[in-house]
Amino acid sequence: MQVAALREEIAVAPALVPAPDTSGMVRLLTCGSVDDGKSTLIGRMLWDSAAVAEDQRAAIMHASQNRALNGEKVDFSLLLDGLQAEREQGITIDIAWRYFETTDRRFVIIDAPGHEQYTRNMATGASHADVAILLVDARHGVKRQTRRHAAICDLVGIKNVVLAVNKMDLINWSEATFRAIEAEFRALAQSFGFIEIMAIPVAALPGDNVVHRSATMPWYGGPTLLDHLETLDVGTERRDAPFRLPVQLVLRHGDVRGYAGTVASGRIRPGDRIVDARSGLGATIRRITTMDGDLAFAHKGDAVAIELDTDLDISRGAVLSEIARRPINADVLEARLVWLAEAPFDPEAGYLLRTATDLTPVTSMSISALVDFETLASAPAHACGANDIADCRILLGRPASLDLFADLPATGNFVLVSAVDGTTVAGGIITWAQAGASAVGDNVFVLDREMLARGLCSDLGHSPADLAEFHRRAQEAAILLRSVGIPVLIEI
Amino acid sequence: MTALVSHLKLLETESIHIFREAAAQFRAPVLLYSIGKDSTVLLHLARKAFWPGKPPFPLLHIDTTWKFRDMIAFRDKTAREFGLDLIVHTNHDGLARDINPFDQNPSVYTDIMKTQALRAALDAGGFDAAFGGARRDEEASRAKERVFSFRATGHRWEPRRQRPEMWTLLNGRLGKGETVRVFPLSNWTEGDVWRYIALEKLDVVPLYFAAPRPVVSRDGQLIMVDDERMKLLAGEKPEVRRIRFRTLGCWPLTAAVESDASDIDAVVQEVLRAKNSERAGRLIDHDQAAAMEMKKREGYF
Repeated sequence: MQVAALREEIAVAPALVPAPDTSGMVRLLTCGSVDDGKSTLIGRMLWDSAAVAEDQRAAIMHASQNRALNGEKVDFSLLLDGLQAEREQGITIDIAWRYFETTDRRFVIIDAPGHEQYTRNMATGASHADVAILLVDARHGVKRQTRRHAAICDLVGIKNVVLAVNKMDLINWSEATFRAIEAEFRALAQSFGFIEIMAIPVAALPGDNVVHRSATMPWYGGPTLLDHLETLDVGTERRDAPFRLPVQLVLRHGDVRGYAGTVASGRIRPGDRIVDARSGLGATIRRITTMDGDLAFAHKGDAVAIELDTDLDISRGAVLSEIARRPINADVLEARLVWLAEAPFDPEAGYLLRTATDLTPVTSMSISALVDFETLASAPAHACGANDIADCRILLGRPASLDLFADLPATGNFVLVSAVDGTTVAGGIITWAQAGASAVGDNVFVLDREMLARGLCSDLGHSPADLAEFHRRAQEAAILLRSVGIPVLIEI
Repeated sequence: MTALVSHLKLLETESIHIFREAAAQFRAPVLLYSIGKDSTVLLHLARKAFWPGKPPFPLLHIDTTWKFRDMIAFRDKTAREFGLDLIVHTNHDGLARDINPFDQNPSVYTDIMKTQALRAALDAGGFDAAFGGARRDEEASRAKERVFSFRATGHRWEPRRQRPEMWTLLNGRLGKGETVRVFPLSNWTEGDVWRYIALEKLDVVPLYFAAPRPVVSRDGQLIMVDDERMKLLAGEKPEVRRIRFRTLGCWPLTAAVESDASDIDAVVQEVLRAKNSERAGRLIDHDQAAAMEMKKREGYF
């Protein structure tokens, strides 16, 4: 396998592979609570980088004066007041998305609440981010919450972290205190997989080192927060990453089939051999097509359609991969997940595993441990509920093509879906997977369409409403069977 | 490519991915085509997602009968040129009751001629998913919107029923009575939309470009007189000014801006320098506080 991979490296001369220019957009997670000055920091960054529209600027000046603040002082947190308003009204604290750009980069700010009861919101927001700003109050330093935020960022795969040590003005701009906080954070971050950590001393209210360099901290020679965000490298893929294309759908045009999807990892070009991991069938790439013309290469992130020299008869959910390094055809896996639903995990309920483009029935699932993200210790457990981080074991009704998250994040993550009402109940990363454990053995009861149509669902026709009812009854029947200890696979 | 062009490529691939996920997961999708710049980009991305085939869903336009004449001409030309199925739906009951933007309060008019009409058209078509061109940057209540936005029976948007979305995984499994609005342009800004139109050389309705047009000034807003149905107030007299539109809707409810931006490059420059946020030109949003939030709950996007 190593030899094959090496040969491919040599065959593809770097000069022929212009790396896609992905420098233009950075997705930025802001973690921390309002008390740490998060809204003020982001508001200050938007204000100073001229990303605030004139009518909005005037409204905020006006509101600030209404709040009887010091005449000239602006309440920058008003730019991000959405979440605070929600908190006051006591409704669901959510993620808010904001956009701004400088002459160098386009930014997406993902604003997530930081308190422990909102772990699920933060994990959801973090899963979209290239870089996380972890905010600490210089007076208090690294707290348990900082550790939990770092752990959540690490869990969902963030590689770049900025430690923004805020309120430096309130500790007399002390370098010694800043260095001590930085050292403490770097020590705790050793247990995580971050590639780059940048610590920056800032004072969000007066604006020091946010956009403009601080005159009061000459001892700090590093970049301002915005300078750093404008220049940091978010292209984290290894040069030799294996090729993966999860097939979203098959585009038929005349006799030609195009396997459409977004390249999840690696690169490919016409003439390369690929394989469908599930069937083991191989083919050669004939064309990589887009509306703008055929491509000589497709890289990670490209949305393409691939034409093959032979028809593999594959459909949505298949993962096209390179021959040497294939995904695992797993029917048993272990994972770490964050529970998102209000309703707790129920071993008797029906769940479906949604990986890149596949949806696979879960035949049985068990929780093995709960993880305390502030101490990073885990304790054996069998139950989990909203905001819990848990380790689990999942048996699938049929094999799915997937990877370990640590190797290939885009084909190693998943969400867990309720088979009854379709809601997303958990999101997770695959930590171990194995083929051939054969979850569908003699002890698994297969509930198929014919069996249901004969009796339980004999009154139902083919209208969308009847089909929905058919599925509902199938799920309810499965729940009853599971409740008496019978593993069930629904095949309809 | 400069940095601020390369990010358009990232946005494009993200949108194509969303289109394909929705087409694969839903039984009967439809594209809400409102003729404006966002719809133009939306349709272009849909064509890219399913090329060399056509998008596997029809376009749906809710025609209040008060759209600018240029918009209707552009709509019909676009459907013809790309060979797409176009469904035009009008609330004829509202029309018969003479519901119009001059005599009714804008929010009543919008509810009857747009929101109710949209719900009726979606129900009549049996559509379980509707693509829309909404962007999260448009205003505060949209900043939290999902890519797959779930609607309960009656197309109601309920914040508590929205599903968390992690990584690029989109879960389109519907619960009982649910339908979905799909927003492929979620992460685009107004500036991105215009730069993409320039980059891809897309045709847009000419009203986006400055030209001399007849307008009246009303409550500090410039309203274009698009046809003879204009109800002038005492003392109002149309005058010709050089104007363009940042956003297009029903002409009596859409304010123009004075501008010299008469081609795409000038518009891009003007938008990127813009001093007011985009929806300031839409009169319906000023009508009540948190107006969008209300309209959304009722089913208007």
